[in-house]
Amino acid sequence: MPPRLELTKGDYMVDQLPNLGREKEMLEAMGMSSMDDLFADVPEPVRTVGELPLRGPQTEEEIISDARRILGSNVALGDRVSFLGAGLNRNYVPASVFQLVTRGEFLTSYTPYQPEVSQGMLQAMWEFQTLISELVGLEVSNLSVYDSSTAAAEAITCAVRVHDRKAEQKNTVYISELIPPARMSVIYNYTQGGGITIKTLKHNDDGTLNLESLAEARGSCGVYLEQPNPLGILDGGLTKVKEIIGDNTAFILGVAPVSLGIVEAPGNYGVDIVIGEGQALGSPITYGGPLYGIFACTKAYLRQMPGRIVGKSIDVDGKEAFCLTLSTREQHIRRHRATSNICTNETLIALMGAMHMSLLGPEGLQKLANRNLAACYLAKEKLSGIPTISLPHLKNSHFNEFVIELPGLAADCLEYLDTQGLIGGFDLSTWYPKKGNWLLVSFSDQTKSSEIELLAAHLAVWSASLVKEVTV
Amino acid sequence: MSHLFEHYGASGQGYSQPEPMIPTDDIKIPDSLVRSNLPRWPRISEPEMVRHYTWLSSRNFGIDTGFYPLGSCTMKHNPRINEVIAQLPGIADIHPLQPEHHIQGTLAIFHEMQEMLGICAGMDAVTLQPVAGAQGEFTAIRCIQEYFRSRDELQRTKVIVPDSAHGTNPASASMAGFEIVEIPSRKDGRIDLDALRSVVGEDTAAMMITNPNTLGLFEPDIAEAASIVHDAGGQMYYDGANFNAILGRTSPGIMGFDAVHYNLHKTFSQPHGGGGPGSGPIGVKSHLAEFLPGPVVRKRPILPGDKITAVNHEWWYHWYEPEHSIGKVQQWHGNSGAVIRCWAYYRRYGNQLKTMSEHAVLNANYLRHKIIEEAKEKGVSDLFCDGAPVDVAKHEFTLSLAPMKEKMGIGAMDVAKGLLDKGYMAPTVYFPLVVPECMMIEPTETESKDTLDEFAKKFVEVLQEDADTLHNAPVTTKVRRVDEVYAARNLTLSYQFSE
Repeated sequence: MPPRLELTKGDYMVDQLPNLGREKEMLEAMGMSSMDDLFADVPEPVRTVGELPLRGPQTEEEIISDARRILGSNVALGDRVSFLGAGLNRNYVPASVFQLVTRGEFLTSYTPYQPEVSQGMLQAMWEFQTLISELVGLEVSNLSVYDSSTAAAEAITCAVRVHDRKAEQKNTVYISELIPPARMSVIYNYTQGGGITIKTLKHNDDGTLNLESLAEARGSCGVYLEQPNPLGILDGGLTKVKEIIGDNTAFILGVAPVSLGIVEAPGNYGVDIVIGEGQALGSPITYGGPLYGIFACTKAYLRQMPGRIVGKSIDVDGKEAFCLTLSTREQHIRRHRATSNICTNETLIALMGAMHMSLLGPEGLQKLANRNLAACYLAKEKLSGIPTISLPHLKNSHFNEFVIELPGLAADCLEYLDTQGLIGGFDLSTWYPKKGNWLLVSFSDQTKSSEIELLAAHLAVWSASLVKEVTV
Repeated sequence: MSHLFEHYGASGQGYSQPEPMIPTDDIKIPDSLVRSNLPRWPRISEPEMVRHYTWLSSRNFGIDTGFYPLGSCTMKHNPRINEVIAQLPGIADIHPLQPEHHIQGTLAIFHEMQEMLGICAGMDAVTLQPVAGAQGEFTAIRCIQEYFRSRDELQRTKVIVPDSAHGTNPASASMAGFEIVEIPSRKDGRIDLDALRSVVGEDTAAMMITNPNTLGLFEPDIAEAASIVHDAGGQMYYDGANFNAILGRTSPGIMGFDAVHYNLHKTFSQPHGGGGPGSGPIGVKSHLAEFLPGPVVRKRPILPGDKITAVNHEWWYHWYEPEHSIGKVQQWHGNSGAVIRCWAYYRRYGNQLKTMSEHAVLNANYLRHKIIEEAKEKGVSDLFCDGAPVDVAKHEFTLSLAPMKEKMGIGAMDVAKGLLDKGYMAPTVYFPLVVPECMMIEPTETESKDTLDEFAKKFVEVLQEDADTLHNAPVTTKVRRVDEVYAARNLTLSYQFSE
């Protein structure tokens, strides 16, 4: 190897740039004399003058030291006792998942455009599709979209493409009035371009769907609901939805995938498109991203669905092989007529999901669901025993979370609990401004019974102090 | 071949878990919702699971496996420290609904990233929320749409894209409800200003373009194109897919753009993960700042009563909701884990990011030069030509194998498969659509001169192969050429259980 130029100040990047110090040699081979020659085609008026006003470079050791200090100043859920969920629940991801997913052959590969050298990821994603199909009871799954909010949005536009021609209520979709505003905002951004009209479906006082209001959705393109719903309620009434809305209206359901270890596969009660937040299977919460959105449907929606799909095929020798298929739906071929603009998706997080699912197995999933259920029900029992608070939906079934009504503002309660070292839950007035006293408390497989006792004790103290104040 | 679903061991086998904290038999859920059949998932022990996925990984090619010159994708090395940092509990184990005083560290890093990205692109405000490049495009186009609505310019219903644009550009604009106007490129691959002039008008909302363009060429007339669009009242949108070529040398802001998306998974080394996750922040000029999806991070001096932590003894970091925000494009705060990785990457280079881009361009030009020289020496120069006339390329370059196709019936795909046999990932083929038999090569800055020399040699060796060999390639891979038509005609999208 020829000798390299002497490295000088600013050569921190030497560990990333193999040709640092060899610039002259390479330039000379091309008949150039300086790096400036490589940018001679950038007209003078649009050239950057001077250095970027940024901090200096750092070495790996300095970076990790800073990262530990800065991120260490955060309060991690694991540092506290936490009942914060609202769609993202604390979970345990087996160690082998983290170990395997950092294998460079997976981590550093691109979308498998060359199937001959990408059979590993293609097969893993085809297996992911199978795991999801089995979980939700539908024939078709793609290999992930970004998250549950974009999955819901994409499902709605997909439903409109499939049903609008025959729909009596043109370009119209019905959504539960309970939908969290942030999710609704994503849906609005994705659907406003197509001029889709969104109407809301009412819920009963006990939190279940008002099936009479649902009759209005007949003749529309689709209905979007969630199971459990945003209040944590498992709503048996949803098994009647398809019968009410009929074949020409898509039944789209958002699910918590872990619940499906005990809750019926939505494909078995008439759901046409299942979407969901995959996170609880395979991925830490990571401040809300990256997650992975589940998107599964019946064959009727296959050609209008978003995202990448892997199919089984053969190679020229007739040997089994996998490749991306049905790509004529996609942006790189169909351009502005594509079913979605999605290109980069969440493959690696879906791969973590596949690993976790395959390690759990059917009975493991059932047990995981039961652990979540047990924590939620022990909490229901303990918290409903506190005289100063009430559970407005006590008689319903719940998964992962439920609402408690406090004698004061949920925001104040959370502040108090924070001083006691508890992340107490989610202030529902953020979603429903009239519900200032509603606190959404979440429990998962990571909740301990002693933590539930602690929450109950603190809630009792805080509520009692408030009730006393009021009576005085 | 082994399938996951052929592992179907004893009932209950799998990952062992603690028992539920109370018996669940008595807990009632509605009868109609009781699961009738469990999913037919495999029943495997940890050693079987580990071996299955390790086996699969051995059948996959990543940057770690070998040279990955996939044009337009910027397949640079992914530093491993970034993975370690992303698993720290201060990012992996925090929840997006935690109060600000719990997450000052994350907000500080987000703020640093917003500032850095703004500086690099010459933009005034940045949001980190979009989770992929295509979503960034969509978000920026939505901001432009709301900007025009706020000005009552509802007639601006058209978005202009060059015919060489990435497919996501027209797809994203169309999703936002715009009509697409495609303009042809000039014969030399550059933007045709006359064509642009002929389509702009009162109905123009924006032009979407990447620079360097998809041929890897810098658009010398970009400032003029920007004035044409601006004079017509439209906005200029910069597709940041090719940002790796220009950092510190020029910026979208200087070129006259109003909005830009960044592909953190290209320029800032978030691993591609076989197709994702990515991260697609956007930057905008001040007139669009209040339309960004919210919230974005701001800082103010610390005040009495603030809960001070290790990072905020001077500044308090807080969320800010832009006044006319388009709302959200992802329910939480985007792919935060990716943003943290890319922060670690940025810290490596700091104000020397220019060196990174210079080396990307150096490597691309050097490789192009070596391929041409090597082909001359071996007498096969007549089998390919430049995709477009080039004096100096940027971070990637295109070759057209149309001459080879004509002479021997061997096209870009055959050469790509021949390269797989040499142990390389194939370059991007048949894109951009404007170059016949196109091969698009992007080596990135993290490949050594020796790797580039060797690749040039092997590339020319492939050109010297006979037609039969290349039609039959690859022969050394785990499977040989895969029948994509068969896959589409015999749709098998999941495992077919025997019962």
